Amino acid sequence: MNPTLKLAVIVLIALEVSFTQVWAVNVALIVIGLIILLVAHIRLRTLLWLTVVPLFFASALVWSLMLRGNATSHFLIVLFTRMFVYVYLGATFTQTTAPLELTRSLEQNAKLPSKFAYGFLAAFNLFPKIRAEVATVRAAALMRGQVLHVWSPQLYFKVILTAMTWSEQLADAMTSHGYVEGAPRTYALTIPLKPRDWVYFTGSLVLVQVGLFLGLP
Amino acid sequence: MARWHVKDIILVTILAIFMGVIFWVTGPLYTVLGAALAPFGLQPMANDLLLGLWCMAGPLAGFVIRIPGAATLGELLGSVVEMFLGGMWGAATLISGVVQGVGSELGFVLTGYKRYNWLTLVLSALTTTLVTFGWDFFRSGYNKYQFGFMMVLLITRFISVFVFGGVLTKLITNLLSRAHVLSPRANA
Repeated sequence: MNPTLKLAVIVLIALEVSFTQVWAVNVALIVIGLIILLVAHIRLRTLLWLTVVPLFFASALVWSLMLRGNATSHFLIVLFTRMFVYVYLGATFTQTTAPLELTRSLEQNAKLPSKFAYGFLAAFNLFPKIRAEVATVRAAALMRGQVLHVWSPQLYFKVILTAMTWSEQLADAMTSHGYVEGAPRTYALTIPLKPRDWVYFTGSLVLVQVGLFLGLP
Repeated sequence: MARWHVKDIILVTILAIFMGVIFWVTGPLYTVLGAALAPFGLQPMANDLLLGLWCMAGPLAGFVIRIPGAATLGELLGSVVEMFLGGMWGAATLISGVVQGVGSELGFVLTGYKRYNWLTLVLSALTTTLVTFGWDFFRSGYNKYQFGFMMVLLITRFISVFVFGGVLTKLITNLLSRAHVLSPRANA
């Protein structure tokens, strides 16, 4: 499915499920999500992790509401299943879409200005460097006997200075490679937006509406 | 009014990733805190205690970049990064990202993107707290809590957002303006 539409449908469903209270739909979405994940050959370890962690958070939330709230058991079931809807549906997107595909699709299909698409990609690809930089900043401080915590302003200060330098260098590098903001571009790889994608998109949304407003528990 | 250039977009994304990497360290902290509080039915408290940390990218990006939408974009990109790096909540993270981003953005809107000082950060902390709490009110069933406990959660959340998004952000931007790297309009 087209990445942009896939993302849109998942976000819309997640949003709608957050404000409605039909656990049958939640369960149906969980099952569908699981099927998609299995078809996409998700690793068993990932699936296990995606199940155990939300299980803890969902149980803890329900337990907390039981102790300190006045929610009905229906609402608690809704809330419990809702957590899994988020996780499984979300995973169907992340497990089947690469960041590059999504940015390309957003640029071509959703008409996102290219400066956002390429700016984001440029930065995203720095991820390993960014991680190393945080470690370096911490280690450098340790050599001087300073321990930088999550709440130390110096840690952020150094990191922001690095971010400023890198962003200028990257932008300059892009310019020197011929990138011009707002100029028309051709695409090395086109992401198709087929009628079939729209059918999946509309179909899924309609199905969810039917489920939500049919009077299911 | 300032416009987005590719340099700013890269900067806000790198900032968001940096924050993501730093907060990644707090992942276990959240789980441990949540697990410790869970038996007493206080698990959501872990959420409210640490929310300020997760929402910091917003005010920080808004303060450093000073273009309308910077706070929102900072938080949103933070959530995109988290989503692709294997954050558990997947695409649902994006919704939280937008909610938190809009929350902190409102603080800057209220000052018309003209003042960058304490007032802005306090307002931003206030709007972040209210907007994210409103979201959890429905999503996480906060509306079903007894009123007293709900207020405790709300106040905890505000303190957390204020300490991280307000005090810590101010300390960081103080360092930045002493290093003369903030834009000239910064001197408020």
